[in-house]
Amino acid sequence: MAAVANMPVSDLLKSFKLKTKQQELLIRVSILCLVYILAFITRLFSVLRYESMIHEFDPYFNYRTTLYLTQNGFYDFWNWFDYESWYPLGRIVGGTLYPGLMVTAALIYRILHFLRFAVHIREVCVLTAPFFASNTTLVAYFFGKEIWDTGAGLVAAILIAVCPGYISRSVAGSYDNEGVAIFALLFTFYLFVKAVNTGSLAWSLASAFGYFYMVSAWGGYVFIINLIPLYVLVLLITGRYSMRLYVAYNCMYVLGMLLAMQIRFVGFQHVQSGEHMAAMGVFFLMQVFYFLDWVKHMLSDTKLFQAFLRITVTCAVAVGTIALGLGMLSGYISPWTGRFYSLLDPTYAKDHIPIIASVSEHQPTAWSSFMFDFHILLFLFPAGLYFCFKRLSDATIFIVMYGLTSMYFAGVMVRLILVATPAVCLISAIAVSATVKNLTVLLRSKNKGVQTGSTKGSSSSKASSKALLDQSQPFQKNGAIALLFGAFYLLSKYATHCTWVTSEAYSSPSIVLAARGAHGSRVIFDDYREAYFWLRQNTPPDAKVMSWWDYGYQITAMGNRTVIVDNNTWNNTHIATVGRAMSSYEDEAIEIMRSLDVDYVLVVFGGVTGYSSDDINKFLWMVRIGGGVFPVIKEPDYLVNGEYRVDKGAAPKMLNCLMYKLCYYRFGEMLTEYGKPPGYDRARGVEIGNKDIKLEHLEEAFTTSNWIVRIYKVKPPNNRW
Amino acid sequence: MSQKTRMAPKPDPQSLSATAADSSAQVSIDPFFHILKFVPYSFLRPPRLRLKLPSFSLPSAMTVFSLILLTYFMVVSGFIYDVIVEPPGIGSTQDPATGAVRPVVFLSGRVNGQYIIEGLSSGFMFVLGGIGIVLLDLALDKNRARSIKVSYSIAGISSIVIAYVMTTLFIRIKIPGYLR
Repeated sequence: MAAVANMPVSDLLKSFKLKTKQQELLIRVSILCLVYILAFITRLFSVLRYESMIHEFDPYFNYRTTLYLTQNGFYDFWNWFDYESWYPLGRIVGGTLYPGLMVTAALIYRILHFLRFAVHIREVCVLTAPFFASNTTLVAYFFGKEIWDTGAGLVAAILIAVCPGYISRSVAGSYDNEGVAIFALLFTFYLFVKAVNTGSLAWSLASAFGYFYMVSAWGGYVFIINLIPLYVLVLLITGRYSMRLYVAYNCMYVLGMLLAMQIRFVGFQHVQSGEHMAAMGVFFLMQVFYFLDWVKHMLSDTKLFQAFLRITVTCAVAVGTIALGLGMLSGYISPWTGRFYSLLDPTYAKDHIPIIASVSEHQPTAWSSFMFDFHILLFLFPAGLYFCFKRLSDATIFIVMYGLTSMYFAGVMVRLILVATPAVCLISAIAVSATVKNLTVLLRSKNKGVQTGSTKGSSSSKASSKALLDQSQPFQKNGAIALLFGAFYLLSKYATHCTWVTSEAYSSPSIVLAARGAHGSRVIFDDYREAYFWLRQNTPPDAKVMSWWDYGYQITAMGNRTVIVDNNTWNNTHIATVGRAMSSYEDEAIEIMRSLDVDYVLVVFGGVTGYSSDDINKFLWMVRIGGGVFPVIKEPDYLVNGEYRVDKGAAPKMLNCLMYKLCYYRFGEMLTEYGKPPGYDRARGVEIGNKDIKLEHLEEAFTTSNWIVRIYKVKPPNNRW
Repeated sequence: MSQKTRMAPKPDPQSLSATAADSSAQVSIDPFFHILKFVPYSFLRPPRLRLKLPSFSLPSAMTVFSLILLTYFMVVSGFIYDVIVEPPGIGSTQDPATGAVRPVVFLSGRVNGQYIIEGLSSGFMFVLGGIGIVLLDLALDKNRARSIKVSYSIAGISSIVIAYVMTTLFIRIKIPGYLR
């Protein structure tokens, strides 16, 4: 002991000095830990600014079902018939949702309770998405390592931790399917690529289970079941058929398909739906390839084999086409559904399905959305593609295909930028890693050049070239250092941009609105929750509320009352009935409301605050959807010269329809802005046309403090005498 | 022997000469061949043609890469947005004082909206940045003359710098509160 204590400090430190391999491992592990923590904390802006609450509309349904699951157990949840939504139809919840998210959150909740952390299920729900985002960075690291090398893996993990395209749907509080689904997507792809690279049965089975998790989490699993067969087809065409590919695809397809059928919402779609037929076709094609390979192995005569090859392939293609044709004609194989068909033909939704076309997330993407969500990665993506093409292998072909298909779909629909983000981050990481490697090789080549020059140094030409090399060496070294600094600068600009975008654009809970007051102070509008709490406290428990479908989930979750239509939008006629009621005169509307047993009507109005996502701005969609089913509602009746107006020059049908009356009741006396007449609508920027509104069959029940949500009670019919 | 002009689905460039030699050397096992030998071609005499089945080989990796770069340019400049929403090529605003009509290049007010020209110019900048990085990699390839390496590296660095500066400028014009 005394001898150890007497050792000088430098010797002590030397005994702790790590070998290079251990140093490298330490650096890698510490980077991954830091990235894990970073991915989690960058998503916490809204929790720190407001409070830990669920955002937007869809997450409220997910929260309500998770609450039901934790309170009643899995069997009741799986067989739940919800009579509180879509009155009077009800909704079979167990058969019409993707349970992955709810089961995951309930599992985390049970584990925490088992460890005696008594957290509320709401906290678990709010923080599920950031937790899975951190896990996605780890998967991205392993995936990058598989495709290129560990440097690319580390860069991919960092890029995906802060990329705004992913943050937009996985912020704390955004308790939606995509938060878990992107993790499942990347995990499944990683397992499959690993299976193709190694040809091992274990990895293939793991990828089948990863696919099962993805199917249980999100409807976007259709992307996986179409991308993987397309990838296999490309490998077959480029002559990369191998036993590894055979094992990987067969195991994944068969087991994955069987597992996917366990989810009631998916059911038998894997054998019945047109969207899943590509996978089946490629499956049979693989068997044909294997058969031909076996026959080639048995036959020694190549000419005979060539003839046999032509016959077999012709027969196989003919049989396949006939089978597909029979299936589609007899109706057993259903055609592509509207949602996915509009991805292939973007003009389809605009003409045929107004509900899909009306959602703002489904609009095609402009360049600024790409720039906002990707920044530097848009430069690195084509460079990464170049590096992938330089070094083609099974894994790089996969990531190229994933990147290209997902970028095309991201161009068609803004919401799908989320699916493209992992591919873009991985390919950009390849570009960054390859470029930095080139530059550092240049930095390190100095010593070798001098040494070889001194040892060889025979002919004069060699000596002169070496002298030239010596002359340019310091220049090259300085240039490489400058370029490395430039790369570092660009990446730091990326980090700044991402943090700014997260803070300003993607951290708003949507249910609580914020605005800047007169002197820059922040003003909070909490009207939605005020109105839902009023509903919960002041209406009879069996009251039915009619509103536009956007608010259905929130009313059921927070107000705890039955609604007529909600965000599930599975029944277009029911929504059209509500749309017709909102766009008719009061006398016609009351008939419809009495037939639906409506007790309260809820509208959202932004005229006092200038809030622009209110029901008057959404009104034309109500007219279009209602008019799509009931031709008595005609859109030109509400427009003046093709223009949508609410002031004095508006159409008379517009000035007297139910939505107008409910939104602007008593608004004519309201002074909203200094220097403007009473009844000035701040969201549209005009003075309203019809100020003297009288309601005959409804009476005002509640208006929130900033007039954003207004609730009306339907009066019972008059007594006859 | 009569030539088969039926295309096999799998690309097989040697198959044609193989079948010609095959059918002359031994009895063919192809059923279609026997049917066709009997039905029209027992009384019809096909003319002597010098047709060759087009031999179809996969394009090189760099050809595919350039096609992909073109598609990337179209997607990222918002081509699909242009086709569906049909915005004007360039916006216009009226000067309140003089009444003259001035063009407006950037659609302001929302993030997900554009005019056609601004989309195309931004897309071009992105592709330019990507090509800059590719040129830098080409400049570090050892098997070229030094002057070409130097010119590639200068072109690459200037492309990246121009693309980044222009893109930042565009986004600053489009979104007034950017980075504030």
